[in-house]
Amino acid sequence: MEKKSIHDILPVELIHRILLRVPAKHLARLRCVWKLWYSLISDPHFAEMHFHHSPASTYVFIENDTMAYFVDLDALFRDNNDALQVRKVSLPFKMKSPPRFEVLGSCRGFVLLHQHGRFLVVWNPLTGSSKLISYSHIASRFKPRGWSSFDFDVYGFCYDASHDDYLVFLGWQNEHGRDHFHCFSLRTNSWIDFGDALLKPLGFDNWQSCGLFLNGAFHWVPSRPKDYRDAILIFDLKERTFSTISAPEQLRTSYYSSLTLLGGCLALYYYNDDSYKTDIWVMKEYKVHSSWTLYQIPFRFQPLYLPSAMDLIGKGYDYEWELYIYNFREERLQRRFEHHCFFIDYAAADAVYTESLLPLPSDLKDKDKEENEEEEVTAHTLK
Amino acid sequence: MGSPLKKIMLCSSEKEIFSVEEQVMVQHSVIINNMIEDGSYNYEESKIPLDCVDSKTLKKVIDYCTYHTHHHNDNQEDLEAWDAQFLNVDSNGLYDLLMAANYLEIRNLLDLIYRTIKNMIKGKKIDEIRRILNIKDHGFTPEEEEQNRKEYPHFY
Repeated sequence: MEKKSIHDILPVELIHRILLRVPAKHLARLRCVWKLWYSLISDPHFAEMHFHHSPASTYVFIENDTMAYFVDLDALFRDNNDALQVRKVSLPFKMKSPPRFEVLGSCRGFVLLHQHGRFLVVWNPLTGSSKLISYSHIASRFKPRGWSSFDFDVYGFCYDASHDDYLVFLGWQNEHGRDHFHCFSLRTNSWIDFGDALLKPLGFDNWQSCGLFLNGAFHWVPSRPKDYRDAILIFDLKERTFSTISAPEQLRTSYYSSLTLLGGCLALYYYNDDSYKTDIWVMKEYKVHSSWTLYQIPFRFQPLYLPSAMDLIGKGYDYEWELYIYNFREERLQRRFEHHCFFIDYAAADAVYTESLLPLPSDLKDKDKEENEEEEVTAHTLK
Repeated sequence: MGSPLKKIMLCSSEKEIFSVEEQVMVQHSVIINNMIEDGSYNYEESKIPLDCVDSKTLKKVIDYCTYHTHHHNDNQEDLEAWDAQFLNVDSNGLYDLLMAANYLEIRNLLDLIYRTIKNMIKGKKIDEIRRILNIKDHGFTPEEEEQNRKEYPHFY
Protein backbone atom coordinates (compact mmCIF):
# COMPACT_ATOMS: atom_id res chain seq x y z
CA MET A 1 0.00 0.00 0.00
CA GLU A 2 1.29 3.44 -0.84
CA LYS A 3 2.38 5.51 2.11
CA LYS A 4 0.00 8.43 2.50
CA SER A 5 1.14 11.93 3.27
CA ILE A 6 -0.17 13.75 6.35
CA HIS A 7 -1.85 16.43 4.22
CA ASP A 8 -3.67 13.93 2.00
CA ILE A 9 -5.51 12.61 4.96
CA LEU A 10 -5.68 14.97 7.92
CA PRO A 11 -7.98 17.98 7.81
CA VAL A 12 -6.38 21.34 8.65
CA GLU A 13 -8.32 21.45 11.91
CA LEU A 14 -6.54 18.36 13.23
CA ILE A 15 -3.13 19.59 12.09
CA HIS A 16 -3.90 22.85 13.88
CA ARG A 17 -4.56 20.90 17.08
CA ILE A 18 -1.32 18.96 16.76
CA LEU A 19 0.66 22.17 16.26
CA LEU A 20 -0.97 23.71 19.34
CA ARG A 21 0.72 21.01 21.41
CA VAL A 22 4.20 21.50 20.03
CA PRO A 23 6.28 23.71 22.37
CA ALA A 24 6.68 27.24 21.03
CA LYS A 25 10.44 26.90 20.67
CA HIS A 26 10.01 24.25 17.94
CA LEU A 27 7.44 26.16 15.89
CA ALA A 28 9.80 28.47 13.98
CA ARG A 29 11.36 25.38 12.49
CA LEU A 30 8.02 23.69 11.76
CA ARG A 31 6.87 26.76 9.82
CA CYS A 32 9.35 25.86 7.10
CA VAL A 33 8.17 22.25 6.74
CA TRP A 34 5.11 23.02 4.71
CA LYS A 35 3.51 26.21 3.42
CA LEU A 36 0.17 25.49 5.08
CA TRP A 37 1.94 25.19 8.44
CA TYR A 38 3.72 28.45 7.68
CA SER A 39 0.44 30.34 7.42
CA LEU A 40 -1.12 28.49 10.38
CA ILE A 41 1.81 29.22 12.71
CA SER A 42 2.33 32.82 11.54
CA ASP A 43 -1.27 33.76 12.35
CA PRO A 44 -1.44 35.97 15.50
CA HIS A 45 -4.63 34.13 16.55
CA PHE A 46 -2.66 30.88 16.51
CA ALA A 47 0.02 32.51 18.71
CA GLU A 48 -2.70 33.56 21.15
CA MET A 49 -4.28 30.08 21.26
CA HIS A 50 -0.91 28.41 21.52
CA PHE A 51 -0.01 30.61 24.49
CA HIS A 52 -3.14 29.49 26.34
CA HIS A 53 -2.26 25.83 25.68
CA SER A 54 1.28 26.12 27.03
CA PRO A 55 2.50 25.64 30.59
CA ALA A 56 4.46 28.38 32.38
CA SER A 57 7.53 26.23 32.72
CA THR A 58 10.49 28.00 31.16
CA TYR A 59 13.06 29.16 33.67
CA VAL A 60 15.10 32.16 32.53
CA PHE A 61 18.06 33.80 34.22
CA ILE A 62 21.03 35.88 33.19
CA GLU A 63 24.58 34.91 33.80
CA ASN A 64 27.65 37.13 33.44
CA ASP A 65 25.29 39.97 32.50
CA THR A 66 25.49 39.08 28.81
CA MET A 67 23.73 35.79 28.18
CA ALA A 68 20.21 34.64 28.95
CA TYR A 69 19.82 30.97 29.89
CA PHE A 70 16.61 29.01 29.40
CA VAL A 71 15.66 25.74 31.05
CA ASP A 72 12.45 23.88 30.19
CA LEU A 73 11.35 22.79 33.68
CA ASP A 74 8.48 20.66 32.41
CA ALA A 75 10.81 18.65 30.15
CA LEU A 76 13.25 18.43 33.07
CA PHE A 77 10.57 16.73 35.13
CA ARG A 78 9.21 14.46 32.40
CA ASP A 79 12.42 13.31 30.72
CA ASN A 80 14.37 10.84 32.77
CA ASN A 81 17.59 12.62 32.19
CA ASP A 82 19.45 14.11 35.11
CA ALA A 83 21.54 16.45 33.03
CA LEU A 84 20.30 19.97 32.67
CA GLN A 85 19.40 20.96 29.10
CA VAL A 86 20.12 24.64 28.80
CA ARG A 87 19.49 26.94 25.87
CA LYS A 88 21.65 30.02 25.63
CA VAL A 89 20.58 33.22 23.87
CA SER A 90 22.47 36.52 23.53
CA LEU A 91 20.68 39.51 25.00
CA PRO A 92 18.90 41.67 22.43
CA PHE A 93 21.28 44.61 22.65
CA LYS A 94 24.90 44.87 21.78
CA MET A 95 26.58 47.20 24.26
CA LYS A 96 29.94 48.90 24.08
CA SER A 97 30.56 48.51 27.79
CA PRO A 98 29.57 45.22 29.45
CA PRO A 99 25.87 45.65 30.22
CA ARG A 100 24.42 44.75 33.56
CA PHE A 101 21.07 43.29 32.72
CA GLU A 102 18.80 41.52 35.10
CA VAL A 103 15.41 39.87 34.80
CA LEU A 104 12.65 41.89 36.45
CA GLY A 105 9.65 39.84 35.41
CA SER A 106 7.77 38.21 32.60
CA CYS A 107 4.39 38.18 30.90
CA ARG A 108 2.93 36.12 28.02
CA GLY A 109 6.27 35.07 26.56
CA PHE A 110 7.96 38.43 27.11
CA VAL A 111 10.77 38.90 29.58
CA LEU A 112 11.28 42.29 31.25
CA LEU A 113 14.98 43.14 31.49
CA HIS A 114 16.51 46.00 33.38
CA GLN A 115 19.79 47.69 32.75
CA HIS A 116 20.72 49.32 36.03
CA GLY A 117 19.97 52.99 36.18
CA ARG A 118 19.32 53.34 32.46
CA PHE A 119 16.46 51.57 30.73
CA LEU A 120 14.14 48.59 30.56
CA VAL A 121 13.74 46.12 27.72
CA VAL A 122 10.68 44.02 26.91
CA TRP A 123 11.92 41.03 24.96
CA ASN A 124 10.43 37.91 23.41
CA PRO A 125 13.47 35.60 23.30
CA LEU A 126 11.77 33.23 20.83
CA THR A 127 10.80 35.74 18.14
CA GLY A 128 13.61 38.15 18.94
CA SER A 129 11.13 41.02 19.06
CA SER A 130 12.10 43.64 21.64
CA LYS A 131 11.28 47.13 22.81
CA LEU A 132 13.45 49.52 24.76
CA ILE A 133 11.81 51.67 27.46
CA SER A 134 13.77 54.60 28.80
CA TYR A 135 12.91 55.92 32.24
CA SER A 136 15.60 58.59 32.38
CA HIS A 137 13.12 61.50 32.35
CA ILE A 138 11.40 60.15 35.47
CA ALA A 139 14.66 59.22 37.10
CA SER A 140 16.17 62.67 36.59
CA ARG A 141 13.02 64.34 37.95
CA PHE A 142 12.65 62.23 41.04
CA LYS A 143 16.25 61.23 41.68
CA PRO A 144 15.72 57.73 43.00
CA ARG A 145 18.21 56.46 45.51
CA GLY A 146 21.23 54.33 44.71
CA TRP A 147 21.99 54.69 41.02
CA SER A 148 24.58 52.00 41.14
CA SER A 149 22.43 49.46 42.96
CA PHE A 150 18.81 48.52 42.51
CA ASP A 151 16.58 51.48 41.73
CA PHE A 152 13.00 50.37 42.21
CA ASP A 153 11.29 49.22 45.35
CA VAL A 154 8.34 47.63 43.60
CA TYR A 155 7.93 46.71 39.96
CA GLY A 156 5.72 44.59 37.79
CA PHE A 157 4.89 43.60 34.23
CA CYS A 158 1.41 42.56 33.09
CA TYR A 159 -1.01 42.25 30.20
CA ASP A 160 -4.17 44.32 30.22
CA ALA A 161 -6.57 42.26 28.10
CA SER A 162 -9.27 44.95 28.05
CA HIS A 163 -6.94 47.28 26.12
CA ASP A 164 -4.70 44.62 24.53
CA ASP A 165 -1.79 46.42 26.18
CA TYR A 166 1.34 45.46 28.09
CA LEU A 167 2.07 47.56 31.18
CA VAL A 168 5.25 48.00 33.17
CA PHE A 169 4.83 49.40 36.69
CA LEU A 170 7.61 50.96 38.73
CA GLY A 171 7.36 52.27 42.27
CA TRP A 172 9.97 53.69 44.59
CA GLN A 173 10.49 55.97 47.56
CA ASN A 174 12.58 59.08 47.07
CA GLU A 175 15.13 60.44 49.52
CA HIS A 176 12.42 62.47 51.30
CA GLY A 177 10.42 59.33 51.97
CA ARG A 178 7.81 60.09 49.33
CA ASP A 179 6.38 57.17 47.31
CA HIS A 180 6.16 57.31 43.52
CA PHE A 181 4.26 54.98 41.25
CA HIS A 182 4.52 55.09 37.45
CA CYS A 183 3.34 52.92 34.61
CA PHE A 184 4.50 52.54 31.01
CA SER A 185 1.96 51.49 28.35
CA LEU A 186 3.50 49.69 25.40
CA ARG A 187 0.44 50.34 23.25
CA THR A 188 0.47 54.13 23.68
CA ASN A 189 4.24 54.19 24.14
CA SER A 190 3.89 56.60 27.05
CA TRP A 191 4.31 56.94 30.82
CA ILE A 192 1.42 57.50 33.23
CA ASP A 193 1.95 58.89 36.74
CA PHE A 194 -0.14 56.87 39.20
CA GLY A 195 0.91 59.04 42.13
CA ASP A 196 -2.72 60.00 42.73
CA ALA A 197 -3.62 56.42 43.56
CA LEU A 198 -1.30 56.70 46.57
CA LEU A 199 -3.78 58.17 49.02
CA LYS A 200 -1.52 57.45 51.96
CA PRO A 201 2.18 56.63 52.08
CA LEU A 202 2.81 52.96 51.39
CA GLY A 203 6.37 53.02 52.66
CA PHE A 204 8.06 51.46 49.64
CA ASP A 205 11.36 51.66 51.46
CA ASN A 206 13.72 48.94 50.30
CA TRP A 207 10.99 46.47 49.28
CA GLN A 208 12.80 44.96 46.29
CA SER A 209 9.62 43.22 45.32
CA CYS A 210 8.62 41.88 41.93
CA GLY A 211 4.86 42.14 41.49
CA LEU A 212 2.97 38.93 41.19
CA PHE A 213 0.07 39.39 38.77
CA LEU A 214 -2.99 37.37 39.70
CA ASN A 215 -6.75 37.97 39.33
CA GLY A 216 -6.25 41.32 37.59
CA ALA A 217 -4.07 42.73 40.35
CA PHE A 218 -0.43 43.05 41.34
CA HIS A 219 0.73 41.67 44.68
CA TRP A 220 3.86 42.79 46.47
CA VAL A 221 5.43 41.90 49.78
CA PRO A 222 8.32 43.89 51.33
CA SER A 223 11.51 41.80 51.40
CA ARG A 224 11.45 42.20 55.21
CA PRO A 225 7.84 42.87 56.26
CA LYS A 226 7.40 44.95 59.42
CA ASP A 227 4.30 43.02 60.46
CA TYR A 228 2.33 40.05 59.17
CA ARG A 229 -0.78 42.26 59.27
CA ASP A 230 -1.47 43.94 55.93
CA ALA A 231 1.92 42.67 54.76
CA ILE A 232 0.83 42.07 51.16
CA LEU A 233 0.09 45.14 49.05
CA ILE A 234 -2.38 44.75 46.19
CA PHE A 235 -2.90 47.09 43.24
CA ASP A 236 -6.07 46.46 41.26
CA LEU A 237 -5.43 47.27 37.62
CA LYS A 238 -9.03 48.04 36.64
CA GLU A 239 -10.02 49.99 39.75
CA ARG A 240 -6.57 51.60 40.05
CA THR A 241 -6.71 51.26 43.82
CA PHE A 242 -4.42 49.86 46.48
CA SER A 243 -5.47 47.47 49.22
CA THR A 244 -3.73 45.02 51.54
CA ILE A 245 -4.14 41.50 52.86
CA SER A 246 -2.41 39.86 55.81
CA ALA A 247 0.30 37.24 55.63
CA PRO A 248 0.21 34.19 57.97
CA GLU A 249 0.70 35.10 61.66
CA GLN A 250 3.94 33.08 61.73
CA LEU A 251 5.74 35.60 59.52
CA ARG A 252 8.63 37.26 61.41
CA THR A 253 10.24 40.56 60.44
CA SER A 254 13.64 38.92 60.22
CA TYR A 255 12.58 36.65 57.36
CA TYR A 256 13.32 37.65 53.77
CA SER A 257 9.98 37.05 52.08
CA SER A 258 8.95 36.67 48.45
CA LEU A 259 5.77 35.90 46.57
CA THR A 260 5.30 33.32 43.86
CA LEU A 261 2.52 31.54 42.01
CA LEU A 262 2.11 27.82 42.78
CA GLY A 263 -0.60 25.82 41.05
CA GLY A 264 -2.51 29.01 40.31
CA CYS A 265 -2.45 30.13 43.97
CA LEU A 266 -0.66 33.02 45.63
CA ALA A 267 2.22 31.71 47.73
CA LEU A 268 4.59 33.43 50.17
CA TYR A 269 7.90 31.85 51.11
CA TYR A 270 10.93 32.61 53.28
CA TYR A 271 13.83 30.77 54.86
CA ASN A 272 13.07 30.21 58.52
CA ASP A 273 16.31 30.78 60.44
CA ASP A 274 14.86 29.22 63.60
CA SER A 275 13.93 25.85 62.11
CA TYR A 276 16.43 25.85 59.19
CA LYS A 277 13.56 25.18 56.84
CA THR A 278 11.98 27.01 53.96
CA ASP A 279 8.38 27.79 54.80
CA ILE A 280 6.06 27.97 51.81
CA TRP A 281 2.61 29.33 52.58
CA VAL A 282 0.01 28.76 49.87
CA MET A 283 -3.22 30.80 49.91
CA LYS A 284 -5.50 28.03 48.66
CA GLU A 285 -8.51 30.33 48.37
CA TYR A 286 -7.79 33.80 47.15
CA LYS A 287 -8.14 36.46 49.88
CA VAL A 288 -9.34 33.88 52.44
CA HIS A 289 -6.94 34.27 55.36
CA SER A 290 -7.79 30.91 56.93
CA SER A 291 -6.77 29.14 53.72
CA TRP A 292 -3.01 29.84 54.15
CA THR A 293 -1.49 26.35 54.16
CA LEU A 294 2.09 25.61 55.19
CA TYR A 295 4.52 23.38 53.28
CA GLN A 296 8.07 22.98 54.52
CA ILE A 297 11.29 22.03 52.81
CA PRO A 298 14.21 21.21 55.11
CA PHE A 299 16.78 23.51 53.47
CA ARG A 300 17.06 26.78 51.58
CA PHE A 301 14.78 26.58 48.58
CA GLN A 302 13.31 28.96 46.04
CA PRO A 303 10.16 27.41 44.54
CA LEU A 304 9.91 27.77 40.76
CA TYR A 305 7.41 25.36 39.25
CA LEU A 306 4.94 22.71 40.35
CA PRO A 307 5.03 19.96 37.69
CA SER A 308 2.68 17.67 39.64
CA ALA A 309 0.66 17.83 42.84
CA MET A 310 3.49 16.23 44.83
CA ASP A 311 6.62 17.60 43.19
CA LEU A 312 8.15 21.03 43.28
CA ILE A 313 11.06 22.19 41.14
CA GLY A 314 13.16 24.94 42.62
CA LYS A 315 16.52 26.44 43.20
CA GLY A 316 17.93 24.86 46.34
CA TYR A 317 21.05 25.11 48.45
CA ASP A 318 22.85 21.94 49.44
CA TYR A 319 26.59 22.75 49.32
CA GLU A 320 25.87 24.89 46.27
CA TRP A 321 22.87 26.34 44.46
CA GLU A 322 21.37 23.88 42.01
CA LEU A 323 18.02 22.99 40.52
CA TYR A 324 16.21 20.23 42.40
CA ILE A 325 12.94 18.38 42.46
CA TYR A 326 11.52 18.09 45.95
CA ASN A 327 8.91 15.40 46.55
CA PHE A 328 6.39 16.23 49.29
CA ARG A 329 5.12 12.69 49.78
CA GLU A 330 8.55 11.26 50.47
CA GLU A 331 9.71 14.53 52.05
CA ARG A 332 13.02 14.43 50.31
CA LEU A 333 14.95 15.80 47.37
CA GLN A 334 14.22 13.49 44.55
CA ARG A 335 16.58 14.67 41.90
CA ARG A 336 19.34 17.10 41.41
CA PHE A 337 20.39 18.25 38.00
CA GLU A 338 23.97 18.04 36.94
CA HIS A 339 25.37 20.78 34.81
CA HIS A 340 28.78 22.12 34.05
CA CYS A 341 28.07 25.09 31.90
CA PHE A 342 27.04 27.75 34.37
CA PHE A 343 26.81 28.64 37.98
CA ILE A 344 23.44 29.39 39.53
CA ASP A 345 23.63 32.40 41.76
CA TYR A 346 21.05 32.74 44.51
CA ALA A 347 20.87 36.49 44.11
CA ALA A 348 20.44 36.34 40.32
CA ALA A 349 17.06 37.69 39.34
CA ASP A 350 15.15 35.11 37.40
CA ALA A 351 11.66 34.26 36.22
CA VAL A 352 9.52 31.32 35.25
CA TYR A 353 7.36 32.08 32.24
CA THR A 354 5.39 30.71 29.29
CA GLU A 355 7.20 30.80 25.96
CA SER A 356 5.10 32.27 23.17
CA LEU A 357 5.22 33.58 19.62
CA LEU A 358 3.08 36.58 20.55
CA PRO A 359 3.93 39.96 19.02
CA LEU A 360 4.05 43.27 20.87
CA PRO A 361 1.43 45.88 19.90
CA SER A 362 4.17 47.83 18.10
CA ASP A 363 5.19 44.74 16.07
CA LEU A 364 1.72 44.50 14.56
CA LYS A 365 1.70 48.17 13.57
CA ASP A 366 5.08 47.99 11.87
CA LYS A 367 4.62 44.46 10.63
CA ASP A 368 4.95 45.11 6.89
CA LYS A 369 7.80 47.48 7.39
CA GLU A 370 9.89 45.26 9.59
CA GLU A 371 9.00 41.78 8.50
CA ASN A 372 12.29 41.00 6.83
CA GLU A 373 14.32 42.42 9.65
CA GLU A 374 12.40 40.46 12.27
CA GLU A 375 12.86 37.17 10.43
CA GLU A 376 16.60 37.59 10.67
CA VAL A 377 16.44 38.10 14.41
CA THR A 378 14.27 34.99 14.73
CA ALA A 379 16.80 32.91 12.86
CA HIS A 380 19.53 34.23 15.05
CA THR A 381 17.85 33.67 18.40
CA LEU A 382 16.43 30.25 17.67
CA LYS A 383 19.75 28.55 16.92
CA MET B 1 -23.72 4.59 32.22
CA GLY B 2 -24.53 1.51 30.15
CA SER B 3 -25.25 -1.89 31.63
CA PRO B 4 -22.18 -4.17 31.49
CA LEU B 5 -24.08 -6.95 29.75
CA LYS B 6 -25.54 -4.91 26.95
CA LYS B 7 -23.85 -4.98 23.59
CA ILE B 8 -23.97 -2.46 20.80
CA MET B 9 -23.16 -2.91 17.10
CA LEU B 10 -20.65 -0.81 15.18
CA CYS B 11 -20.45 -1.01 11.40
CA SER B 12 -17.18 -0.25 9.57
CA SER B 13 -16.83 1.31 6.11
CA GLU B 14 -16.54 -2.23 4.69
CA LYS B 15 -19.93 -2.98 6.34
CA GLU B 16 -18.34 -5.40 8.77
CA ILE B 17 -20.25 -5.54 12.08
CA PHE B 18 -18.45 -5.37 15.43
CA SER B 19 -20.29 -6.22 18.63
CA VAL B 20 -18.89 -4.36 21.66
CA GLU B 21 -19.82 -4.08 25.33
CA GLU B 22 -21.88 -0.94 25.58
CA GLN B 23 -20.09 0.45 28.62
CA VAL B 24 -16.72 0.19 26.87
CA MET B 25 -17.82 2.58 24.12
CA VAL B 26 -20.00 4.77 26.35
CA GLN B 27 -17.09 5.44 28.69
CA HIS B 28 -14.73 6.50 25.93
CA SER B 29 -16.70 7.92 23.01
CA VAL B 30 -18.60 11.16 23.56
CA ILE B 31 -20.62 10.55 20.38
CA ILE B 32 -21.75 7.03 21.33
CA ASN B 33 -22.45 8.12 24.89
CA ASN B 34 -24.75 10.85 23.52
CA MET B 35 -26.53 8.38 21.20
CA ILE B 36 -27.23 5.99 24.07
CA GLU B 37 -28.28 8.76 26.45
CA ASP B 38 -30.71 10.47 24.09
CA GLY B 39 -32.21 7.10 23.16
CA SER B 40 -31.43 7.33 19.44
CA TYR B 41 -29.82 3.86 19.58
CA ASN B 42 -32.27 0.98 19.28
CA TYR B 43 -30.82 -2.22 20.78
CA GLU B 44 -33.00 -4.50 18.65
CA GLU B 45 -32.26 -3.06 15.22
CA SER B 46 -29.63 -0.35 15.31
CA LYS B 47 -26.06 -0.57 14.28
CA ILE B 48 -23.93 2.55 14.32
CA PRO B 49 -22.58 3.20 10.83
CA LEU B 50 -19.01 4.48 10.82
CA ASP B 51 -18.55 5.16 7.12
CA CYS B 52 -15.17 6.83 7.49
CA VAL B 53 -13.61 4.12 9.69
CA ASP B 54 -12.27 0.94 8.07
CA SER B 55 -12.41 -2.46 9.80
CA LYS B 56 -8.73 -2.55 10.68
CA THR B 57 -8.89 0.87 12.36
CA LEU B 58 -12.21 0.16 14.08
CA LYS B 59 -10.79 -3.02 15.56
CA LYS B 60 -7.84 -1.03 16.96
CA VAL B 61 -10.16 1.60 18.41
CA ILE B 62 -12.27 -1.07 20.10
CA ASP B 63 -9.11 -2.74 21.45
CA TYR B 64 -8.02 0.58 22.93
CA CYS B 65 -11.38 1.31 24.58
CA THR B 66 -11.72 -2.26 25.89
CA TYR B 67 -8.24 -2.33 27.40
CA HIS B 68 -8.60 1.07 29.04
CA THR B 69 -12.02 0.17 30.47
CA HIS B 70 -10.76 -3.02 32.10
CA HIS B 71 -7.32 -1.77 33.14
CA HIS B 72 -8.02 1.78 34.29
CA ASN B 73 -6.77 0.86 37.78
CA ASP B 74 -3.39 -0.34 36.51
CA ASN B 75 -0.40 1.77 37.38
CA GLN B 76 0.48 4.62 35.05
CA GLU B 77 3.72 3.05 33.83
CA ASP B 78 2.03 -0.17 32.69
CA LEU B 79 -0.68 1.77 30.88
CA GLU B 80 1.89 3.95 29.14
CA ALA B 81 3.83 0.87 28.05
CA TRP B 82 0.64 -0.64 26.65
CA ASP B 83 -0.22 2.62 24.84
CA ALA B 84 3.26 2.81 23.31
CA GLN B 85 2.92 -0.77 22.04
CA PHE B 86 -0.61 -0.02 20.79
CA LEU B 87 0.57 2.97 18.73
CA ASN B 88 3.50 1.11 17.23
CA VAL B 89 1.92 1.42 13.77
CA ASP B 90 3.02 3.07 10.51
CA SER B 91 2.07 6.67 9.80
CA ASN B 92 -0.96 5.63 7.69
CA GLY B 93 -2.29 3.62 10.61
CA LEU B 94 -1.70 6.55 12.93
CA TYR B 95 -3.60 9.03 10.71
CA ASP B 96 -6.48 6.57 10.33
CA LEU B 97 -6.65 6.18 14.10
CA LEU B 98 -6.56 9.94 14.57
CA MET B 99 -9.46 10.41 12.13
CA ALA B 100 -11.47 7.68 13.87
CA ALA B 101 -10.75 9.00 17.37
CA ASN B 102 -11.71 12.47 16.22
CA TYR B 103 -14.96 11.25 14.63
CA LEU B 104 -15.96 9.23 17.70
CA GLU B 105 -14.62 11.90 20.10
CA ILE B 106 -12.45 9.56 22.15
CA ARG B 107 -10.57 12.21 24.09
CA ASN B 108 -7.82 10.19 25.78
CA LEU B 109 -6.99 8.39 22.53
CA LEU B 110 -6.90 11.74 20.70
CA ASP B 111 -4.53 13.12 23.33
CA LEU B 112 -2.32 10.08 23.01
CA ILE B 113 -2.11 10.38 19.21
CA TYR B 114 -1.49 14.14 19.30
CA ARG B 115 1.34 13.53 21.75
CA THR B 116 2.78 10.78 19.57
CA ILE B 117 2.77 12.90 16.41
CA LYS B 118 4.19 15.84 18.37
CA ASN B 119 7.07 13.64 19.55
CA MET B 120 7.63 12.40 15.98
CA ILE B 121 8.31 15.95 14.75
CA LYS B 122 9.71 17.68 17.85
CA GLY B 123 13.33 18.76 17.57
CA LYS B 124 13.88 17.10 14.18
CA LYS B 125 15.39 18.62 11.07
CA ILE B 126 12.97 19.75 8.38
CA ASP B 127 14.06 17.20 5.78
CA GLU B 128 13.59 14.47 8.35
CA ILE B 129 10.11 15.70 9.34
CA ARG B 130 9.07 15.79 5.69
CA ARG B 131 10.27 12.21 5.30
CA ILE B 132 8.50 11.02 8.46
CA LEU B 133 5.20 12.67 7.52
CA ASN B 134 5.72 11.80 3.84
CA ILE B 135 5.29 15.40 2.71
CA LYS B 136 6.31 15.52 -0.94
CA ASP B 137 4.62 18.72 -1.98
CA HIS B 138 5.49 21.26 0.70
CA GLY B 139 3.79 24.09 -1.18
CA PHE B 140 6.69 26.53 -1.17
CA THR B 141 7.86 27.86 -4.55
CA PRO B 142 11.45 26.89 -5.40
CA GLU B 143 12.44 30.53 -4.66
CA GLU B 144 10.75 30.50 -1.23
CA GLU B 145 12.29 27.15 -0.37
CA GLU B 146 15.73 28.36 -1.36
CA GLN B 147 15.23 31.55 0.65
CA ASN B 148 14.21 29.54 3.75
CA ARG B 149 17.19 27.21 3.39
CA LYS B 150 19.49 30.19 3.09
CA GLU B 151 17.94 32.00 6.06
CA TYR B 152 17.67 29.05 8.42
CA PRO B 153 20.38 26.58 7.35
CA HIS B 154 20.40 25.00 10.83
CA PHE B 155 16.73 23.95 10.44
CA TYR B 156 17.47 21.60 7.51
